[in-house]
Amino acid sequence: MPMERHLTFYQNSFNLPHELKFKPLSLIGFSGLDIVNNAVHKSIWETFNNRTEKAPILYKIISNTHTFPVIKPKRNSYDWYLPKGILKRNWLNKHLQEVPALIVIFFDLDWKDSLWNEKVIECASKVLSMKTALQGRDCRILVVLIQNQMPVPEDPLASERAVALCSSCELNAQSLYVLPHGQHLLGYTIRLEKAFFEFSHNYYSSCVKNVKMHKEYLDKSSHQNLFVRHEFKMGFLNELKQDMHSAYKHYTWAYKNLLDIQMTAVNSLELCTVAGFINYKICKLQFALNLPRDAISQFKIHIEKFKNNFGFPQLAFEHYAWLSKQFEIFADIFDEAVKLGLPAVQTQHPGVYYQQSAQYALIRKKMCQELCSKVIAYPHPDPLENIDRMEFYGQRPWRPGKIEPSESAIEDDGIQALQYLENQVSHSSLIISLYGLAIAQYKIYKCPRTRRYLVLEMADECYHSKDFGKALTLYTHMLSDYREEKWHGIISNILEKAIICAYLTASVQDYLQLSFEVLSMYTIVSIEDKRRIYENLNRIFKKQIPYGSPKLSHDILQNAIILWQPVFGRDSLIFDLDFTNIVNCLETKVKFCNSTVQIDQSVCLEVFIRSTCPFPLTINDIAVKITTQHINTEFRVNPDQNTFTLHLNEVQKFNIEFEPDCRDINSEIEIDHVIISIGNSSECLATLKFNGQGIQKALPELQYFKKSQESIDFDGIKAIPKATLVPRNSKLDVQIEHAPPALIGECYEMYISMVNKESCIITDLKIEVSKDENSEVELSSTPETSIEKSPLILQSPKTMDPDAKIVTSCFVRAMKPEVKNIYVKITYRLDSDKPLISIKNERIILPVMQPFMVDTQFLSGTMQHIQKFYAGEKFLMNTIIRFLSPFTIYIDDTSIEFIPPIKGAEMYTKSNLTGYSFIQEEIGSEVFVALSENQSDQNLAIANYIITWKRENGILTKTNITLNGHHCDWIPLNIEVLTPAYGIVRTPTVIKYHLINHSSHLVQLDVEMEASESFMFSGYRKNTTSVLPFSTKLLQYNLYPLLPGNVSLPKLILTIPENSTEGPALRQDQLTQLIDRTVPYSIYVMPQIKGDIKQSSVILKTNESRS
Amino acid sequence: MAVCAAIVGKDNSPKYFCCINPDEELSYQYKVLSSLDIIEERLNPANKNASESKELFLGHLYSLETCKLYGYVTNTKIKLIIVVNAMNLTLKDNDIRSMFQKIHSEYADMVSNPFYIPGEPITSKLFDSTIKGIITGTV
Repeated sequence: MPMERHLTFYQNSFNLPHELKFKPLSLIGFSGLDIVNNAVHKSIWETFNNRTEKAPILYKIISNTHTFPVIKPKRNSYDWYLPKGILKRNWLNKHLQEVPALIVIFFDLDWKDSLWNEKVIECASKVLSMKTALQGRDCRILVVLIQNQMPVPEDPLASERAVALCSSCELNAQSLYVLPHGQHLLGYTIRLEKAFFEFSHNYYSSCVKNVKMHKEYLDKSSHQNLFVRHEFKMGFLNELKQDMHSAYKHYTWAYKNLLDIQMTAVNSLELCTVAGFINYKICKLQFALNLPRDAISQFKIHIEKFKNNFGFPQLAFEHYAWLSKQFEIFADIFDEAVKLGLPAVQTQHPGVYYQQSAQYALIRKKMCQELCSKVIAYPHPDPLENIDRMEFYGQRPWRPGKIEPSESAIEDDGIQALQYLENQVSHSSLIISLYGLAIAQYKIYKCPRTRRYLVLEMADECYHSKDFGKALTLYTHMLSDYREEKWHGIISNILEKAIICAYLTASVQDYLQLSFEVLSMYTIVSIEDKRRIYENLNRIFKKQIPYGSPKLSHDILQNAIILWQPVFGRDSLIFDLDFTNIVNCLETKVKFCNSTVQIDQSVCLEVFIRSTCPFPLTINDIAVKITTQHINTEFRVNPDQNTFTLHLNEVQKFNIEFEPDCRDINSEIEIDHVIISIGNSSECLATLKFNGQGIQKALPELQYFKKSQESIDFDGIKAIPKATLVPRNSKLDVQIEHAPPALIGECYEMYISMVNKESCIITDLKIEVSKDENSEVELSSTPETSIEKSPLILQSPKTMDPDAKIVTSCFVRAMKPEVKNIYVKITYRLDSDKPLISIKNERIILPVMQPFMVDTQFLSGTMQHIQKFYAGEKFLMNTIIRFLSPFTIYIDDTSIEFIPPIKGAEMYTKSNLTGYSFIQEEIGSEVFVALSENQSDQNLAIANYIITWKRENGILTKTNITLNGHHCDWIPLNIEVLTPAYGIVRTPTVIKYHLINHSSHLVQLDVEMEASESFMFSGYRKNTTSVLPFSTKLLQYNLYPLLPGNVSLPKLILTIPENSTEGPALRQDQLTQLIDRTVPYSIYVMPQIKGDIKQSSVILKTNESRS
Repeated sequence: MAVCAAIVGKDNSPKYFCCINPDEELSYQYKVLSSLDIIEERLNPANKNASESKELFLGHLYSLETCKLYGYVTNTKIKLIIVVNAMNLTLKDNDIRSMFQKIHSEYADMVSNPFYIPGEPITSKLFDSTIKGIITGTV
């Protein structure tokens, strides 16, 4: 099969040859290793090859029978030499695979080997035979002795024998190595490899030098090819040497020299081919040397230089194939660099080049169709016979090595042969795969729209290659993306192509779906095409094969018709078309008439349909699918199956009513979708599914700018896809009677009165009272203080006749002056044929305030305000109740409970306020006498003051207020003074001072009574007195008042004696304060009673009895 | 002179498209649509320099074998795109910028027109001829 071989060869000829793409590695030959039979050798070989950090070296086993390429005789003069081409096909491979930089001969030999002499001879012969084989080459030979014993330092035997071995093998001392085979094989290997690499490095350097030497002999005019060849060789040798910078320099020169060569139709293929090779090398090195910008600009220059075709116009496709390949190759290198970490950007990435490559592949295809379609026979004799045995790259097989064109007949045959082969190439698959590569790249670099465009191009190519199914899939997939951005021009274009594909693959489902979309007003397609599609739609509904587009060729149509025939074989055809997100020639909008629907009313829906199809559409049925938690039903617009017709821009409105399900109360009813059926169920029926919300406009607010002359403004209709089912409106008349504000602590009564205004009997009546969560309110149904849990269920009759009235009440007790919310929820059932539950909710906003405020004042025995108490000393507590309530408050009782250590100093504690009523702003006051038994640093809680009160006609409430006092000090001495209530002029009266020592120490005091103008008195005027521990000393004075009125008493002065032996338990200032607090300043003295002595004596008697 | 101009809305739907050669309109539509990828990326707030710059003119977006595309984005995210033939070397960046500014002001006038429905494609013949005048350099 020479033809097939030619074809593969022809197709591969555009690819880079394998040897060029191969990563250049220094070649080192290993001889004497038997890796098949010898385990030691095998392990050595593997250690050299399978290491992670391997030097850029290719090891190759050289067998004994290996033949090296023949050396060409050295040329001394290039004067008459005319090169036949630029690059020889075998040269690269020769240096990559055949001519090693270094030969290493491995030989098993220990220094102490018993057969030393024999082995030395054997080794020498091996070296010698290798030397003969490599005669004339600069290739170096090394000998590595594989030894079992580890080397011993300073071993005289070893050094002696090494010298002997070197001399018998005619090697210098640097060429002999020892590889002990033992534990440290890896370490030895690394060291050996380093040495090998150095030798190979030197070898390639000398090769480069050799090539350079030729340069002098060359002549610019006749040896242009050699200028390119030599620079290329030097570049490649430098690459083998791993000197990338020099390689890059030489390749650049090679490229420059190549551009100097005049391009003709004869050599254009060779120049292009070689230019492609060098450009590949340059770009690859630039990426490797991290010069991506240079690589891109080099590539651009390269394309710019070779873009125009200089070859035979009959072979134009060949040039485009080459161009396409150039882009693909560059994209490959670019992609490789990206995978190695090069960052690419949105506008400069491999995808751009794959795309361009595909574009050139398209031109190639076009050229091929133009040039090769007439070629039907392959010429004889075969002009491409030697296609796989060419000496140079890129030359024509029918004239190898020739610069002039051959005879025109041979030339024509050759061209015809190539054209014939080109015609066999499957261009579409090439193009599709290139698009595939580009699409993948564009996806990475965030170009979704460009990617879509490429997918469409790919689909076009699938279409051209008659893969209509794949094209249809691609088109329909892309459509959804384009629909989003509303580029209707593009969408229409895709639709047109897609519908043809759907027709050609006889895909009814797709054909129907696309047809409805094409008929929409947004699709920009000629009216003739729309008419044809409209008629086809009608044919399908009648189970007739639709007509294809007149643009299609006859044989394609023929195939399609064959595909269509079995489609209508089945009895009834039903196609479900989903238009939920797709604009088509019908638009629907559905709205609930109300966004809330009461459960006892029927749900009402309005369905609007508009047609934008230029031709009348007959609609079979419209149904709306409703979903709630409990129902999932389709409701049809006209159950009686009448078809109706919709004309262009006509809007029709339909109503749907249905009863809601009682279980769905308080949940949402949702329109799931709308289904429009077209066709007839007996033959062919299409059900179109819509979301019922019309086309989503990008900016709904702009809708208001639109004006519509239509009777129903379709665009202005706002779809309402959801409604909430709510309980029915209760007709119960509820009144709450109460007298706000509520007062803190009181049992506040609220009356709930209900009148049944429903038309029927109410049953299962339930009244619930609740409060806000966390609200400190107590609810109860009785005026007792027991707290009942919330919601409170009030007792009431369970049934109510129409117009009956029920009054019930509840009690609320609040403890903080805030505004509280109280909720009343009345649930009942109507005793009608439909047992509907009704709910009535009421909210009561209840302000709460304090009924009164209580202040306290503390007074000393002499009615002075005091800031602290003294243990054992009586004080007065004055409570002041300030009434705040807007209602009159009746005080039932007040009482006081002293809190220890405070105790009352009175026996008699009847409330003064009992039975009084107070209005707002009034004050009620009481005084209590008390004393503290112990001292205290903290302020003391004095007493609980309990006020029992009520509103007029209210319920009694006890309010307990804790009264707080001052702290309590302790001093050892206390004074109690007994004075009469009043004195009478010139009537003697007695005043007693009790000095009470309640300490365990003796208290000594100087007592002095100051003289007074108003009195004469008897008793100690000035005295020192001692008060014994826990005892009382009485000082008694007889007073004889001289003047009437409120007169000052003689002043008692107590001082601590200077020579007091007792400690500082009592200070002078404390003593003075004590007197101020407890000893009265003055006394009322009455004038003498004139006349009735009897009365005056009564007064005197009472005076005496008191004292 | 430019060969094509387009106005694209905030939602990337076309508002106005004009092409000197009507036969090439579809292929230019594809090109303009593809260029939105680059505009979107430039406007992406994640790219620092994009959001900070107050310059409306985005400059050169990308080149194809046959043409070069330039972009301009108004403050309300209306995108203006101009396509220039790749062979045309006379048009400098500044010329393109002033072209964009003229189109922008024409567009602003158009939107102010009470007979224009905002958000709809622009169909005014006067607008069309003015824009064509701007891009061909006759205005």
